Amino acid sequence: MTETPIATATATSVVTKPNLVSPDGKIQVLIAMQNIWKTYDMGAEKVHALHGVSFEVHRGEYVAITGPSGSGKSTLMNLIGCLDTPSQGDYWLNGKNVSEMDDDELARIRNQEVGFVFQTFNLLARATALHNVELPLIYGGIPSAKRHEMAKQALGEVDLTDRMMHRPNELSGGQRQRVAIARALVNHPSILLADEPTGALDTATSYDIMNLFEKLHEDGNTIILVTHEHDIAARAHRVISIRDGLIEKDEQIK
Amino acid sequence: MKLVRSDILENLWMALATLRANKLRSFLTVVGVIIGVVTVMVIASAIAGIDVAITREVESLGTRSMYISKFNPGIHVGRLSREERMRKPLTYDDAIALSKLPALDTAVPFIDVGSNFFGQKIQVSSSGKTSASVGLQGTLPDFEKAGTQVVAEGRFFSQFENDTNQNVCVIGAKVADDFFRFGSPVGDTLKIGEQEFRVVGVLQKREQFLFSGGSDDQNNVIYMPYNVARKLKPNSDDIYLLAVAKPGQMQAAMDQVTDTLRIRRQVPFGKPDNFGIETTESLISSFHAITGGIAIGMVVISSVGLMVGGIGVMNIMLVSVTERTREIGVRKAIGARRRDIMWQFLIEAMTLTGFGGLVGLIIGWLGTLLVKLVMPSYVPLWAPAAGFIASVGIGMIFGLWPAWKAARLDPIESLRYE
Repeated sequence: MTETPIATATATSVVTKPNLVSPDGKIQVLIAMQNIWKTYDMGAEKVHALHGVSFEVHRGEYVAITGPSGSGKSTLMNLIGCLDTPSQGDYWLNGKNVSEMDDDELARIRNQEVGFVFQTFNLLARATALHNVELPLIYGGIPSAKRHEMAKQALGEVDLTDRMMHRPNELSGGQRQRVAIARALVNHPSILLADEPTGALDTATSYDIMNLFEKLHEDGNTIILVTHEHDIAARAHRVISIRDGLIEKDEQIK
Repeated sequence: MKLVRSDILENLWMALATLRANKLRSFLTVVGVIIGVVTVMVIASAIAGIDVAITREVESLGTRSMYISKFNPGIHVGRLSREERMRKPLTYDDAIALSKLPALDTAVPFIDVGSNFFGQKIQVSSSGKTSASVGLQGTLPDFEKAGTQVVAEGRFFSQFENDTNQNVCVIGAKVADDFFRFGSPVGDTLKIGEQEFRVVGVLQKREQFLFSGGSDDQNNVIYMPYNVARKLKPNSDDIYLLAVAKPGQMQAAMDQVTDTLRIRRQVPFGKPDNFGIETTESLISSFHAITGGIAIGMVVISSVGLMVGGIGVMNIMLVSVTERTREIGVRKAIGARRRDIMWQFLIEAMTLTGFGGLVGLIIGWLGTLLVKLVMPSYVPLWAPAAGFIASVGIGMIFGLWPAWKAARLDPIESLRYE
């Protein structure tokens, strides 16, 4: 990536790459959202899920995104996770403008830059924990010997080395979520994007998982947590509150 | 970017796991494919077996032999044309003329006297037994030179016996068995029609390659001198000729026979022959035309089975895509591109039908063993290969649409799918 501004070929908009590194080189901007709009065409009327959202996330941050249902929180998460592209505005992820990418390019970005953790774990039922963790590496085209090694290491980071060959139905909820976290981490993505990661877990297990996120953050991972639970959001270091498609509050709490 | 080998193995592994998880469903889905492959195997083996048997049987008629009749060569279906029916018969003199040609070893006439002047079957009887199904032919002793019939016991009748109208005959192995159970038939007598015939020789048993309703008519024959047969049925014009070429002169012999017969039968220049010459080769190729037709019929029948199977596969793959919408969403979320999903489902469909193909090959092979009990059969190598490739191909063709549907799914909606 060059550091000079890039002009896109389109005549209607000129995209300027934001400054992604602070002058002293200590802060790296991983996520730069610039005036993001998302509009859904519902036949007769147009629904604006997001209207003009801008914010930045730096490398190593631990951010919670909260908001009631219908606030545009899920839409924002889909955009951050590169599952969708904005109707308007630019999204820079780790120095790449992903707002105008096509499906396959987005798939590549999701594979390399984003680690997803879902509320319901979403593991492949018929595959072992190890194989589940290997899955992103398969799509990344990594040869099998290296895959095994990387997957084992990721499972080690979430303390599941002894459960590698178990299938999801032989694991507890907390263990399943840890497999899912290992899967998210295995490719060393820029961001770990967790959508209600404790939503399907009991309080004690939720606590364990949140401790794990804490530890991963201390190890240097950038974590974005999407939740509607205030006590979960309170574990993050920064909370972005969304309401009616706009950022209502963006505060550093730690 | 091309699909790397490890991806295919990975997909194959996943596909097998899915098949294992849905054993009954997978099996029911591929029943059509199994039936299709079994059909290919069984019919192909039967056709191949018949082909070999026909070739061997026809070749036993002698590779230097030409069978000449007044009808056009080839296998006739339905009524002959009026022109063909009205042709004048071949004659004894035609045979004598041909036998003098330089490229020929010999030529003999055959006259069929199976029925008498009034069209009734001529009865053959001896020691209280009677049969009307024996083939009765008059010919000349030179027939022995063709080498297609070998005398096992006694001798062939002589030219002298023909010229002096003696009631002698040479009998086939089945006639010998039927009428002369004990002791040698040579020297004994048979009654053909109202006349007594002395048996002078017994022919070696000819091998029966194809089942023919158990009549064994190749061995159920009696040969008698041409002149005697002629007297038995003076009005018979059912005459055909056997001409035998000198070794290595088959083509020259055919040309000479054609030229001679055209002159003798007064075929005008530029008009087609009014007779037909069958050689071993031409007989085999006309049988091949029939078996080839059957083979095409087989392809049609089995492709109906495969089509039905294919539709079943498409149906189940569509169900599978719907059932696994969420899995597809997850795979896309963690980096699967459209073509990755496409390949996953295509390989799954191909694995499914390929498995059906293998089961079909095993059942089909057992089927060919059963076929072998009633008719000649062997499995030509192309049959299992074609069966397997066709079944995998069916998976690919009918898996294409479901796989494309899966590949096109929106990741967000798929992840939300319950």
